[in-house]
Amino acid sequence: MQKISRTIRTAILLAFIIFVFGALIYSRIMAYSLAPTMKTSDFHGLPTWYIPIAYLIDYFSHGWICLLFAFVVAGLIYEMIPKDIITRYMSGSKSIGYILAIIIAPFLTVCSCTMVPLFAGVLYSGAGIGPAITFLLMAPSSNILAILLTGELLYWELAWVRILVSIVVALIAGVIISRTPFGRAVEQEHQTNRVNMETDMKLVQPPLDERLWNALKFGGYLAKQILPYFILGLIAVAYIEAYMPEDIVGTYLTGIQGILIASVLGGPLYTPTLVEIVIGRGLWNLGMSKGALLSWLMGQPYDVANALAVSRIARWKVVLTYMVIAWAGSVIFGILYGTFAGSL
Amino acid sequence: MKEVNVEVIGSDPPCPRCRKTRENVEKAASKHGVKVNITHLNAASRGVVEKYGVLVTPALAVNGVVKTMGRIPSEEEVERILAETSK
Repeated sequence: MQKISRTIRTAILLAFIIFVFGALIYSRIMAYSLAPTMKTSDFHGLPTWYIPIAYLIDYFSHGWICLLFAFVVAGLIYEMIPKDIITRYMSGSKSIGYILAIIIAPFLTVCSCTMVPLFAGVLYSGAGIGPAITFLLMAPSSNILAILLTGELLYWELAWVRILVSIVVALIAGVIISRTPFGRAVEQEHQTNRVNMETDMKLVQPPLDERLWNALKFGGYLAKQILPYFILGLIAVAYIEAYMPEDIVGTYLTGIQGILIASVLGGPLYTPTLVEIVIGRGLWNLGMSKGALLSWLMGQPYDVANALAVSRIARWKVVLTYMVIAWAGSVIFGILYGTFAGSL
Repeated sequence: MKEVNVEVIGSDPPCPRCRKTRENVEKAASKHGVKVNITHLNAASRGVVEKYGVLVTPALAVNGVVKTMGRIPSEEEVERILAETSK
C-alpha cells in the first residue's frame, strides 16, 4: 500500500516537472517572448500609480514560465547534486580545488546563507585561500538562477559571456590572493589536521518521491526569498523606463565612461540577487551599451554585504584585494566585450 | 531507552533552514518517544570542519555520524534515521 502511494506521488511530481520543462521548450519552439514587451512609449499617458501594475502584469504574463522553470531547476539541481564530492575532493590538490570551486559554485549557492559557511569550509578543508576566493567570486555572478534569468530576460550571448568572465576573474583573484603574504597568513590560520574525515560521514538518501518533493520545496523557498526583491526591482524598473530620459542613459551609460559608472554602481549599491538583471534590462532598453551592461552585471561579487560577511572570516586586506580585482575585471571585460560586440 | 545525540550543523547565527532542520528533529523525536540531545554547531568553525568535513549546510549528525548534508530532512526522514540509530 505504502509502495503504491509512493509510486503515485513520484509520478505526479515527475509529471509536474516534465510539464515545466515542456512549457519552456514549447515557448521556445513558438518563439514566444518570455521577457516583458512594453516599450517606453507605452508608458506615456498612463497614470503614475498604474505604471508598475501595468509593467508587472506585462512581465508576469510573459515571465512566469521562465521564473517557474528557473526555480524548479535550481531546486532539482541543488537536491540531486551529490554534496559529498566536495568534501571528498576539495582537499586533494590546489588545481582540483580551483576546478571544483568553479564547478560547484554555480549550483550550491543559490541560497545566500550557505555561502559564507561554504567559504569558511573550503578554507578549513585544506584547499587553501585561492580556491575559497575563486568560489566566493564565482558564486553570486554565475549561479544557475542568475544565468537562466540573464539568458531569458536579456540574451543568451550575455549569459555565456557572464559565465566566462566570472570564471576568469574568479581564477585570477584566487591565484593572486593565494600568493600574497596576507593571503598566506589567513591560510595558515585555518590549517587543520583532518584525520578521520571518511569515517564520520554516512549519508542517507530518502526515496525518490521525497527527494523530488524536497527539490520543489527548496525551489519554493528560493522563490519566497527572492521574489519580493524581484518584484520591487520590477517596480523600480517600470519607473526608470517610464521617466528616465533616454538621452541621460545614452550619454552617461555608454563608452568607457559608461562602463566605469556601471561598474561602480553595480557593486556597492547592494542589489539582491536577480534584481541586477531586471534593472540592467531597464537600462539596456533605454540605451545602455552592451559593454556597460556586462560591467553592471559583474558588480555583484564585490557588493558590500558580501564583503562584510567575508571579512568576519578572512582579513580586510584579503577582502579589499579581491574587491579591487573583481572591479578591475568588470571594467576590463566590459570594455573588451563592448568592443567585440560593437556596442561600447 | 538510550539518549541520542543529534547535532545540527549550520551557520551561526542559525539560518532559517538550520532552524527548520532542528524543528523537524524535535518533532520526530517527540513523536517517536526518543530522547534526543540537540546541539547546534557552527559550520564555519575549525573544530566542526575538522571533525565532520561538512561544507554544505544544514547538516545533521546523529551520534557523531553525518547523516544528511545540504538539505532539510523531513520529519519522516528524521524518524527513520532515529529509529535506525536507537535500534
